[in-house]
Amino acid sequence: MRNDIPDRRAETDESQADLAAAVGVTRQTINAIERERYDPSLDLAFKLAAHFDCRIEDIFDPDE
Amino acid sequence: MSEHTTSATTRPSTRKRYKRIAYGLLGAGILALWIGIALDRFVLGVALYWTGGLGMGLVQRFSPVELYDERDTTIEREAGHYTMKLFAYVFILGTPGGLALQESGVLTLPGEFYGAMWTLFAVFVAYGAFVIYHKYRL
Repeated sequence: MRNDIPDRRAETDESQADLAAAVGVTRQTINAIERERYDPSLDLAFKLAAHFDCRIEDIFDPDE
Repeated sequence: MSEHTTSATTRPSTRKRYKRIAYGLLGAGILALWIGIALDRFVLGVALYWTGGLGMGLVQRFSPVELYDERDTTIEREAGHYTMKLFAYVFILGTPGGLALQESGVLTLPGEFYGAMWTLFAVFVAYGAFVIYHKYRL
């Protein structure tokens, strides 16, 4: 699923490993999400939204 | 950005370290089994193998970090799905195919063939049982 996680990480100067540690998954999982090869669970999507202090639909775009 | 604390135990490096320990214990157990067989100390080899397996299980159960995340679970589910598909093709095509070849006198099936097919049958029985169990749970 299309997402803007790389942009958000760049804004906050976070590495994939930093984000992975913050939401409790592996760096490979964050990488797979960013490359749109893996769709996160609802639970992880909520954690990402909480981390970036936004709504899930602000991060993920299911239509594209 | 919201504040998030990152405990040292949730860092990927910690996860990796515990995974290495877990797989290392199992690997050591397998190695011990091989050595035990080679040295004709089979019982000792099996005991060490079980100890390694138990150690792996204990590390996975009691490690302070989650060793597997949701992507790992998805990967395992996909792998299991394709493995069952492969087994299904082998079982569905192999069993009648092998029996037909034997009946027509083309070849004589070894006992291992029947063992393999019965094993696959048992796998599918177990799979079906788990599908039914989870169907009523979800």
